[in-house]
Amino acid sequence: MTSATALTEDLRTVAVSSPREPRRRRGARDFFARLPMRLIIAILLVVEIYPMLWMFLGSFKTQSEFLSEPFWALPASWSLDNYVEVFTTGGFGQYILNSVIAVFPSLFCILLFGVAAGFALEVLVWKGRGTVLLLFLAGIMVPAQMILLPLFTMYFRTGLTGSLWPLILTYIATGLPLTVFMMATFFRSVPREIFEAATLDGASMLRAFWSVGIPLVRNAIFTVGLVQFFFIWNDLLIALTFTTSSDLRTIQVGLLNFTGQYGAVQYGPTFAAIAVNVFGTLALYLFLNQQVMKGLTAGSVKG
Amino acid sequence: MTTALMRRRLLPLGALLGAGALALTACGPAGSGGGADDGSFSYLGQTENTTIINTLETLGAEQCAAAEKAAPLESDSTAGTQWDQKLQLLAGQDALSDLSMAAGTPSLMQQFIDADQVLDLSEALDDLGVADKILPAAESTIKALYGGDSLYALPTELNIEGFWYNEQLLADNGIEAPQTWDELVAAAATLKSAGVQPFTAAGKDGWPITRLVGDYIVRDLGPDALKKVADGDAKLTDPEYVAAADAVAELGASGYFGDAVGSVDYNAALNQFLTGGAAFFYMGSWALANFNDEEQNQIGADNIGFAPFPEVEGGAGSIDQVPANVGIPVMLSKKGYTDSTADWLKCIAENYGDTVLAESGVVSGFALENPPADLPPTTQIVQDVIANAPSSVLWFEALFTSKGTTVSQTNGGGLGNGTLTGAEFMELVQSANDEG
Amino acid sequence: MEKTLGDKRAILILLGPALLVYTLIMLVPIVWSLGYTVMDGNPIVGFQFNGFDNFVKFFGDPAAWEAVGFTLRYALVLTVLQVGIGFLLALLYVFWLRKASGLIRTIVFFPVVLPTVAVALLFQRLFEAAPTTGPVNALLNSFGLESVDWFGTPDASFWIVILMDLWRSMGFYAVLLYAGLVDIPDELLESARLDGASGWKLIRSIVLPLSLPVLLSSLIFSINGTLKVFDTVVALTNGGPGNATTPLTVYMFETSFTYGEYGYGSTVALMLTILCLLFTVFIFRSTRRDLTKG
Repeated sequence: MTSATALTEDLRTVAVSSPREPRRRRGARDFFARLPMRLIIAILLVVEIYPMLWMFLGSFKTQSEFLSEPFWALPASWSLDNYVEVFTTGGFGQYILNSVIAVFPSLFCILLFGVAAGFALEVLVWKGRGTVLLLFLAGIMVPAQMILLPLFTMYFRTGLTGSLWPLILTYIATGLPLTVFMMATFFRSVPREIFEAATLDGASMLRAFWSVGIPLVRNAIFTVGLVQFFFIWNDLLIALTFTTSSDLRTIQVGLLNFTGQYGAVQYGPTFAAIAVNVFGTLALYLFLNQQVMKGLTAGSVKG
Repeated sequence: MTTALMRRRLLPLGALLGAGALALTACGPAGSGGGADDGSFSYLGQTENTTIINTLETLGAEQCAAAEKAAPLESDSTAGTQWDQKLQLLAGQDALSDLSMAAGTPSLMQQFIDADQVLDLSEALDDLGVADKILPAAESTIKALYGGDSLYALPTELNIEGFWYNEQLLADNGIEAPQTWDELVAAAATLKSAGVQPFTAAGKDGWPITRLVGDYIVRDLGPDALKKVADGDAKLTDPEYVAAADAVAELGASGYFGDAVGSVDYNAALNQFLTGGAAFFYMGSWALANFNDEEQNQIGADNIGFAPFPEVEGGAGSIDQVPANVGIPVMLSKKGYTDSTADWLKCIAENYGDTVLAESGVVSGFALENPPADLPPTTQIVQDVIANAPSSVLWFEALFTSKGTTVSQTNGGGLGNGTLTGAEFMELVQSANDEG
Repeated sequence: MEKTLGDKRAILILLGPALLVYTLIMLVPIVWSLGYTVMDGNPIVGFQFNGFDNFVKFFGDPAAWEAVGFTLRYALVLTVLQVGIGFLLALLYVFWLRKASGLIRTIVFFPVVLPTVAVALLFQRLFEAAPTTGPVNALLNSFGLESVDWFGTPDASFWIVILMDLWRSMGFYAVLLYAGLVDIPDELLESARLDGASGWKLIRSIVLPLSLPVLLSSLIFSINGTLKVFDTVVALTNGGPGNATTPLTVYMFETSFTYGEYGYGSTVALMLTILCLLFTVFIFRSTRRDLTKG
């Protein structure tokens, strides 16, 4: 899975440079030859940016503006009422905290367990590893809806209901199949000699995993981590099923709070909550970008 | 060596898994319950409904302070979109809260009753000497809903349904509130030719349209017509039933619901009515909260009139049998019914009606002790209708199976925009009912 | 050396935690649910063994087959579109935008981050027909065409579900595939150009075969995700109009939790799992044949 590395690099840098033959300038003819493509790019950008802008503008609108004004109307005022409502009546602060508590430990465990398992299944040599890998692969195909009832029963009888543990455990387990599968394919593309050399030096297998294996795949870990993060962060089904009390709601469940009993949606606060959520993720994403960039420029091993 | 070991380890593991899981699958509900006597009074409601919990909290602070002291109220909520799923999961563990909102679909509620998890309130209220605190109209609605002779839920709401209309728009076009279906259709034709959209309805949600079918059946064939269908004595595909769906489909085909009714949701329909975009709006009295909100209501609360669902000429029903529902009532868990819960129940029965009307303007199915003096005009209309109604009737899907209800409501939009004929619609719903 | 690479203790420590969590939280419930597929009932009224009745019922259930039909149509159309357009975007990034592609990639990628509820509200408004006219219908009107009731007609709502998912996911697949294209050595492209290959020919003879591994994993990723579509449909159309956009997952969920037929619901879920398995195996097989040919 060389894609994993490249994807990481790609996501990491906003302006990555891939060395190619430099383009020759040909003046006006060139400009017209490029026009159709420029048009396509312009349309693409409008199609992507305008809807997102609309959602952001929506967070300033009142309910009647939403229902009676046309789609492209700008908000009448830039009041922050909707944002205030999100944090006061909506209690969004608690939901953000819950999401963070549920998602980050899960993400950490998914990556740690998943990478270790991928390593054990691909680098280490033992019979039966193919079967175990297939066992993990099967998990990708099973719909999550199928395991809700047994899991609810298990959590209930073990007394885990009423805490965030059911969420954390379920996230880890459902995140593992894809992670293990992707990590195993990634380790496959690493030349075996590297690990054999490490063991010849007398390092134990665990040390080899920690000091050679992980650095080799850090880009892949970042990629898989990113994909898993969006899955878990945006999960609604599992969170809805296992959060039994309002103190345990995550952001996605909290978004439903702005819906009335007979199906009336409070658009303004909903979009304000979404904006808070999206800016949070964006800030986190940019922060992580910086960190990984720093690590790379510090001269660490590159995948 | 390792491989042999692993194989030896894996095989029995697999066998163990299979056997263990099957054993787990087979064993029924067991374990401890959340509704046991744990010194508190637990309530679980839908997040979207804040009225019930607010009223309970007020009661706890005031009239029910003694019960609150013995067993403090502990409330929680879960999203209404997956309410039935959550209740089913909890009931599967015999862990329903002491008090909780009932299942959205009556047939699921019946399973809870059959599994002996829900408290028989007729008996309990009799024992406490407060059986007279439940209004007869509400009691009969709930009994009809869940079957049987006993009451299994408390009517925290009592809503009537009918056509709310924009008095100004009707007057401008020289129309009086219609008394018969033909008058209604004629009024719609007049309005449409005058460039006014006759009806607005949330076709996306389906039920605002299927309600019309149900009401037509009841007016035409009498109040027990839908019960006959539920008992298997009649079928929705019988011609006299199909006639009702055809009557509604005809409104749709004539474009009286406006453009694209299949995509209109509750918000949009309500807003359209309250901004003067349509003349008639079939809705329950729960919408009074919106009608009485000056910011939403651009046409003025005084400008809204109420017309009961009209009579069908030569029909067996009459116009004063008012379509009613109890919203989502609340049920008590049998397991959690202890002395302290009984104190709460008694106090709720005595005080809920007054408190919820005074605080939230909601008309409940509890008897009023001290009716408030100054009610908004629309709320007053509802009070009067309830007081004067000799009997109430249920809505179209009330006695259907869960599947019948879902199929009916998801196809309601099709009737509204004229893509389904009455016969096709009834065919779909009847076969869903037969299956469930 | 083989001994170190086969160190039992290391295997146990490395694989143990993952296998333990996976077994307890996924495998046990899966096997447990398999038990339900041969039973009738739900957790409230209890379960009774009923042999293969559920399977018989599935094969004679028109609603289930409609759901299978929608699921297949949706998965195939969306997989072709999102991987296809993702690939075109990736080509655009690599061969046209080059150095300047970074910002555009990030922007096109971004919708993947948005919560489903938000995107669904957006698309409902975009395609609104009444009471206010949404932008799409306004555009139609300006060309003198009638407004379309997008969510009221089965075919139209199918395409809106597709469009919404495409909007969200094409940037994601573009980035995934871009990563594969960037890995193609420049010398290879250069020598092919010297041989006179250009444009489509270059793409067909060099780019496509070389990015096949990434394409393959994208396809598997996409098909397994789209066959199990749930959030999008629930948030956007809730399966309507009628049950025109009801996929197997939603049907399974309704059967289990709304209709209270948990055993039958598990059977539906099993069928969906088998469908995913068939497609995955099929993709593996067909690409392997292509590889040996090329």
